Amino acid sequence: MSKLLKRALKNSLMPAILMIAGKSLGIFVISAVYGFSLEIGNDINGLFSTQIYFQEREITYFVNSMSDLLMLIVLAVPTVYLITKTIIFQSTMDNPKTIVKVAKFNILNWITKDDTTFLKIFIWCAFLWLASAIIIKNSFEGDTYTWVAIVGSIVSFFSAFGTLKAFEVETNKVYPSNNKYY
Amino acid sequence: MKNPKVKKFVNLVLEPVAFGLLALLFIIPSITVINLEPITKVLKDLDVLGVSNKSEISINIIGGTHQIFNREKIEAVDGVYTYTTVLTRREADRYSKPILEIINNTQEEAILEIYGNTALPTGSDITMIINDQVYRLQGSNGEITSQKIAFVPNQKYVIFLAVESFSNVQFEEDFELKIKKIEY
Repeated sequence: MSKLLKRALKNSLMPAILMIAGKSLGIFVISAVYGFSLEIGNDINGLFSTQIYFQEREITYFVNSMSDLLMLIVLAVPTVYLITKTIIFQSTMDNPKTIVKVAKFNILNWITKDDTTFLKIFIWCAFLWLASAIIIKNSFEGDTYTWVAIVGSIVSFFSAFGTLKAFEVETNKVYPSNNKYY
Repeated sequence: MKNPKVKKFVNLVLEPVAFGLLALLFIIPSITVINLEPITKVLKDLDVLGVSNKSEISINIIGGTHQIFNREKIEAVDGVYTYTTVLTRREADRYSKPILEIINNTQEEAILEIYGNTALPTGSDITMIINDQVYRLQGSNGEITSQKIAFVPNQKYVIFLAVESFSNVQFEEDFELKIKKIEY
């Protein structure tokens, strides 16, 4: 089995778990915080038979929107962190001023080790795109607030840019820019 | 595994499995998240007859997945229950699906007025079926028929929605069904 495939499998586990955990915890935590009574039933609606029910449409709408938002945050935060870390790491190598700024913000440990690969960022970003696509679909179907879908779209759009930037950084390691050396 | 041949063979077998596993790592969370979306299910207290009478009519959405009937929802506003669904584009044929379950828990017969239509008339004949009895809701020319149906006490009824088109429908239609109790 190729190393790339092994790494891809290893890196996909955490976002997959977080995606499910973010959504399910979101439903249960928001229900508990606001005191909404939920019911777990066994109707066949999709591939799995377990279904969560609320008695009022407004509550369902609110809980679904907030749990979607939580799932988005849970996936967006690590993705943004990985992208920022990679870009800062590269920037410190190109520009010593960045090291001063990094030291000022007390995030030197972000640049002590280059353990973030493009593959890792791409996988996290792919999960973020998946989550955003589900949220946008929900919004079109009237199950999620529109602003949650807008937030999801914006986050996905910028994380795609970040991923591209990380790809650039990664390819520069293999094929350094000509103008740097000549 | 020191034998390179064995190693090569194991890799050959494992690689497709690993690819499948990787795909599953993306597919399973997506399906789980979609399935975890909560839905509104039980709607009770349609009948508010008085303090001494605790009986009620309950309307439950049946749900499930269907190729033609999508995004089913039910909500209540001022005693009028509105079931909505999106009828997807389809080939000329007859399609039906159980949509609602009505239980008359009262001690007396309840009469419900049921009517429904699509947002735009599209030439489809829309009917509902209750206990093998067919009730027309919307004719192919767009005319809407309101049905008054008696529901016997302590009995469960399943409402089927049927759509019949004689030509292919190339776009989605929003269908709305309203249910309200007729008071005497």
